[in-house]
Amino acid sequence: MIRGDVSGRARDHFDWPLFIAAALIAVLGVVNLYSATSVYSGSRSELYISQVYWLVLGGILGGVLVAIDYRHLERLGYVLYAFGVFSLGLVFVLARDVRGSSRWIEFGSFRFQPSEFMKVFLVIALAKFLHDDPRSEGRTLKDLLVPAVLTGVPALLILKQPDLGTATILTLVFLTIAALTRVRWKSVAVFVVTVAGAAPIIWSYVLLDYQRDRVTVFLRPEDDILHRGWHAHHSRVAIGNGGLFGNGFMKGTQNQFNFLPDQFSDFPFPVYAEEWGFVGTVLLILLYAFLSLWAIRIASLAKDRFGAVLGVGCGAILFWHALINIGMTSGVLPVVGVTLPLFSYGGSSVTTVMMAIALLMNVSMRRYSAVPAPDRL
Amino acid sequence: MSLVVQRSDVSEFRRRFRWIALGMALLFLGLILRLFQLQLLESDESKAIARENIVRRVTLATTRGIIRDRNGKVLAESRPSYNLYVVPERIDMQNVWPKLVDYLGVGVDERARLEALLTSIRASDGPRKSQQILLKEDISRDAVATLRTHDAELPAVDVVPVPVRSYPYEEVGAHVLGYMAEVDAEKLSQLRSAGYVEGDRVGAMGIERAWESYLRGTRGWEKVLVDAKGRRRPGGEGIIEDPRRVDPIPGRDLRLTLDAEIQRAIEKAMRGELAGGVALVDVRTGRILGLYSKPSYDPNALSGGSGKQVIRDAFRRLYSDPLKPALDKTIAGAYPPGSTFKPFTALAALEKGLIDPRASTQCRGALTFGKRTFRCTHVHGSTDLHKGIAESCNVYFYRLASELGVGMDVIAEMGQRFGLGTRTGLGVNAEAQGRMPTRAWMTLRNKGQFRLGFGLNAAIGQGATTVTVLQLALAYAALANGGTLYQPQIVRAVETSAGTVVQEFAPRVRRQIDVSPENLSRVQKALFAGVNSEAGTAYKARVLGVDMAGKTGTAQVSHKLARGAEAERVWYFNREHAWFAGYSPTRSPEVAVVVLVEHGGAGGKHAAPIAFEVVRAYQELMRERSPRAGVTAAGRAPSKGQGSAP
Repeated sequence: MIRGDVSGRARDHFDWPLFIAAALIAVLGVVNLYSATSVYSGSRSELYISQVYWLVLGGILGGVLVAIDYRHLERLGYVLYAFGVFSLGLVFVLARDVRGSSRWIEFGSFRFQPSEFMKVFLVIALAKFLHDDPRSEGRTLKDLLVPAVLTGVPALLILKQPDLGTATILTLVFLTIAALTRVRWKSVAVFVVTVAGAAPIIWSYVLLDYQRDRVTVFLRPEDDILHRGWHAHHSRVAIGNGGLFGNGFMKGTQNQFNFLPDQFSDFPFPVYAEEWGFVGTVLLILLYAFLSLWAIRIASLAKDRFGAVLGVGCGAILFWHALINIGMTSGVLPVVGVTLPLFSYGGSSVTTVMMAIALLMNVSMRRYSAVPAPDRL
Repeated sequence: MSLVVQRSDVSEFRRRFRWIALGMALLFLGLILRLFQLQLLESDESKAIARENIVRRVTLATTRGIIRDRNGKVLAESRPSYNLYVVPERIDMQNVWPKLVDYLGVGVDERARLEALLTSIRASDGPRKSQQILLKEDISRDAVATLRTHDAELPAVDVVPVPVRSYPYEEVGAHVLGYMAEVDAEKLSQLRSAGYVEGDRVGAMGIERAWESYLRGTRGWEKVLVDAKGRRRPGGEGIIEDPRRVDPIPGRDLRLTLDAEIQRAIEKAMRGELAGGVALVDVRTGRILGLYSKPSYDPNALSGGSGKQVIRDAFRRLYSDPLKPALDKTIAGAYPPGSTFKPFTALAALEKGLIDPRASTQCRGALTFGKRTFRCTHVHGSTDLHKGIAESCNVYFYRLASELGVGMDVIAEMGQRFGLGTRTGLGVNAEAQGRMPTRAWMTLRNKGQFRLGFGLNAAIGQGATTVTVLQLALAYAALANGGTLYQPQIVRAVETSAGTVVQEFAPRVRRQIDVSPENLSRVQKALFAGVNSEAGTAYKARVLGVDMAGKTGTAQVSHKLARGAEAERVWYFNREHAWFAGYSPTRSPEVAVVVLVEHGGAGGKHAAPIAFEVVRAYQELMRERSPRAGVTAAGRAPSKGQGSAP
């Protein structure tokens, strides 16, 4: 059944640019991870191998996902969403505390982070909602209430873990998708004013101390270089140390001499920037930019609303991750735990990114379908 | 067929893809600009910080100079001591700790104490638990060897070598050599520019202090790579700029004029007495061969190495002892010289031409002057100058002062010409000045009233007259050598650690005292008689083979009845100081010797025997060391058993 869905024609339309861009980033990511974890001894220094396993696993998962026509997902949209929210709820029951934050669910030796997958589930749910809700007139804020609630529930759950970074990503993905819809200018204005008004309240009541800390440290990093400002300071120094051409592979002193904690999870970019310099970082940013813009292109070519929103949503996931991660490591954004797609180590992160890319591939390959709808049985 | 198509009207999105794409592109462009700023515009600053992060300048320890006696025997040197450091947080109390205790070989009590210390630090919140702490100082060499072999099983444990000053002669000569102490905050603020840092040890007394700048040496440094946790990393080519290393310069060695064997002989000779000071000076050069103050202390304990507790205990003992071991009694203590001063009174009278040395006076055991009776030791009968000195007749000298016009000022002036009552300028330790009281000074002190009795006391070296042991030794050296007052000398040469002499100090004459040879020889004869005539005060102390001239002294001390003090103590502290000052041999004198036994009683009985013992030891050593006549022993290795001088 499933096999049959990847029609000969769809296979002909394999999106090579998407694949190559993603593959290039993944290769650079693994190579960089090798260098980043070379400072450790023991199992941590082998992380790049695990990353390869995750990429393979993500690839298989992605392959399966590509094989299923994305339009089947439309029906499953809310089911997947409900499953995601349920998992997030489960975190609070089964959570395992990692550095003051409970993000993981464990099954034996296998553990995963529901908040990562939630990003994709949310995009699917939003796509389904907008697919089912076509408008010819401009939307009011009320018309976006349901998608806002769809975003708000998991975002708040994630914020409580607490994981400010992922909650922010969900919000930004939602806002990107909202930007896709035709919202009245008046409503946009009201929204902006409301956010501006709510910001102080969120600052005081919603954010936790450590989250506020990160923002203050971001604003005045020199106050506490040894402790809270350590990450921001040393990652900026590492990037600057790279200069134009970089210190060369495995030769970044900030990394090699342990000045970059979490260099395999949230801070692989400074490692890369230190070794490959401005030339390398521009190349990487261009790859991410290509991937993001290509996603928008895929979305714009989609034959239906579901595919369009799905494309923009997946593109937004990749875009915001890349932007925020590089922004925080280079000191233009506060340090929130946001991974760099395919550069950061992590099973959940890698699989999520691979799923997003697979969905993009899926949409891209089926844009030519003469017979738009598969048989629904 | 399908609902999808019907519901899919993508026209709502049409124009917005472009805006989103534009937004994304602009934001990425922003990132690129930021990286342009960081990696090109501000790169140099970051590169500098990154280098600073990993390059540390570690200081390389220097070695303090060795102090040797005149024959090359080591009096003070630095030995390596090993301190044990642990990181409390990282030490495994179940598996590593028992092993460590075992290898260290500490007792049950100490183990419990250390364990409690570690546990409390581990439980605390401060940063201390993740830092190295000093667990035990100066661990034994055996323990060091064991720890080194088992290094691999002892993570978070470090043995760090630290140089500690060691004084092989321990208590002998401690005051002259001094000791080392950790530099305190106040001193550090002055010394920081000279390269001192916290925890440095600095000479705190004696030669260690006075010659600190020579002994200390200069630290070197080396640039090394360290990671974020401060651990050393190998390599550094291309990262560390030259120069990578500056070698330390070891401190200068000092060659003293002191003789360790003589110091030891003095210590031995003084064993019967509780407190006092002895000086042995070469009359031909002013070089100090022996300088000893009792009670002494062990500078090893004060200089650290055995731990802070030992230092604290040693200092407590030092300052609570009523015999004042901290005081250098040869230099820093001023005492009434008693009858040892009489030669100078005599010279004053002779030089002024106020007396006829052959004229006799009758001693009936006391002289009544005004309302007071000034006592003599016994009835001397008819006494002239010679007998007055040799048999130490106070009455003779009272008469000089009271009847013959030998006033205080004349006596004080002569004393001062011989360097008494003036600091000698040795430059080691704080010197007491002593005092040659003048009439004006006494008047001032007594609220405008001068009594002639003051002059009588001054004539016999009592009352307000005080001298130090070293001053008296140099004055007697001048008596012996025909009137040359030398600058005392204790450091003979400065040498490199390789043994090359950098600087040698020649004897320095302070002044040639202008006294007539005739008068001087008269006094010398009297001093000879004081030892060698049957009635001489030191006659009974004579030792066969020791040719000596000299003068005893029994100086009265001001009676201070300490309130509540035990009778025994009061008895001791009220007893006279015993003195002997002299020189040897009598024909062509080589050394002057002064012995002070604090509260020792009669000089002839308690001080003179010690002086003879010391000079005998000196003679023996000289005979041993220079089998051929005319070769001085200085600077030569002792050549024992090569026969004696003809």
